[in-house]
Amino acid sequence: MVNLFRRMRKLNAILDIRAGTGAAILPNLTSATKEFPAVTRLHLTYAQKIYQGHAGARHFWRKCMPRLKYHNPGISMTVRQTQDQEVPATLTIYFAERTSSTANALVGSTALTDAHAPPPEKTEKTAVMSLKDLSWTDIWTRVQAATGAQEIATTSEDAEALNKLEEMRIKGEKDKVRVQSMRQAKKDQERMLAEARGEVEKLKQT
Amino acid sequence: MAPLFPAFQQVRGAKGNAQKGKGKNKGKDKAVKPDRRGPREFRQKNLKDMDQFALCDAMRYLRAAEVGREPTNLKYEVHIRLRTRKDGPVIRNMIRFPHAVQTESRICVICPPGSKHAKDALAAGAVMVGEDEVFNAVKEGKIEFDRCLAHPDSVAAMNKAGMGRILGPRGLMPSAKQGTVVDDVASRVEMLRGGTVYRERDAVIRLPIGQLAFSPDQLRDNLRTTVEQVKKDASGLNDRINKEIHEVVLSSTHGPGFSLNGDFQSETSPEPALLTGL
Repeated sequence: MVNLFRRMRKLNAILDIRAGTGAAILPNLTSATKEFPAVTRLHLTYAQKIYQGHAGARHFWRKCMPRLKYHNPGISMTVRQTQDQEVPATLTIYFAERTSSTANALVGSTALTDAHAPPPEKTEKTAVMSLKDLSWTDIWTRVQAATGAQEIATTSEDAEALNKLEEMRIKGEKDKVRVQSMRQAKKDQERMLAEARGEVEKLKQT
Repeated sequence: MAPLFPAFQQVRGAKGNAQKGKGKNKGKDKAVKPDRRGPREFRQKNLKDMDQFALCDAMRYLRAAEVGREPTNLKYEVHIRLRTRKDGPVIRNMIRFPHAVQTESRICVICPPGSKHAKDALAAGAVMVGEDEVFNAVKEGKIEFDRCLAHPDSVAAMNKAGMGRILGPRGLMPSAKQGTVVDDVASRVEMLRGGTVYRERDAVIRLPIGQLAFSPDQLRDNLRTTVEQVKKDASGLNDRINKEIHEVVLSSTHGPGFSLNGDFQSETSPEPALLTGL
């Protein structure tokens, strides 16, 4: 099994799951308000390549979705990566009973449908947002506006840990340069010695 | 529950021991050369340094790490670290979980066609049964099974047909040592379906333990069965061999590994019902 300390360093990944952009609680059945009904499911569809504005959707999956899932463990989130580049990148939000007014405003009059999204149940209403050419942070602000998600502030311990990791990363970069120069100097020295020895051999032979 | 399969013992590094450890003039050797093989036991780190998690918390993180992945091939995995010597017998056995982890494996049974064993094996769920028809299919390269069993009556025919050359490299060749040449073919077929083989490598046993859609209760049942069986295997090995479980780590197909502290829930973990399904 891998060294304990290396495993612990790897486990810092959970800091990233816990805190950052997208760490928010979506309204559920108990916390739903008139303005923002409960969210039951999310579905994201985007194409395999980033051309035609699919990059943001993929980043949203990579960066925001684990955090959303961590803070909303009961909400099912599915992602479909299509081979077809022409299919628009879309995010389908499933609301219980009715869609929120802001979601309607964000969706606008363009009626998109996502063929890959699971069909809504009778009581569910969906809002299909187009993600074309949006960056992942833009997508997140729109999702937040549409659902009324309550963002969770990073705790001071988490912030401290993240700071420490960042410091380590910066120091690591410096150290990398320093150690590399040391190794290079050693290699140069050895090569010079080898060359000198070779010359001596040559002299002896002649 | 009795072990389903007797634990097979395999002595590792026995040859190296004989050559090095028992040299001709031991006393003299020792004075000149110190033992360069290093410690006899696997070194264990102190787990006090490690963050440990309750089962539900680990599952919450893993489910978050796996979000949006292809749901059919997502599994929870468990890694059981043992306190053990570097040489000596290793644990190697098979387990049947209370909640099946993988889709059933296809099993081929080599036994005289038309016999009682053939009928029983078919009834137990084998996909291919027979002698010559199996041999011909294998020779044509159609190996449409994941496990292969044989009845002792058919072993001679199997060897004659040269199956070892084709099945051997794929790890499918039945042998008595592996427990795949058995009299009671039918019961073994039943056991192999839904069974998972595991073995100890470098003091760690790794095996898939559940689908990501499992509820915490299901996963706990599987985990408990696994740990109990490993303990049983360890105690059944040999009187002088001492193996103990050092650490249990829960991981998943793409997720990081979480050292478990043995608790089911902590104060901050969500409702177990929320951690179910995909």
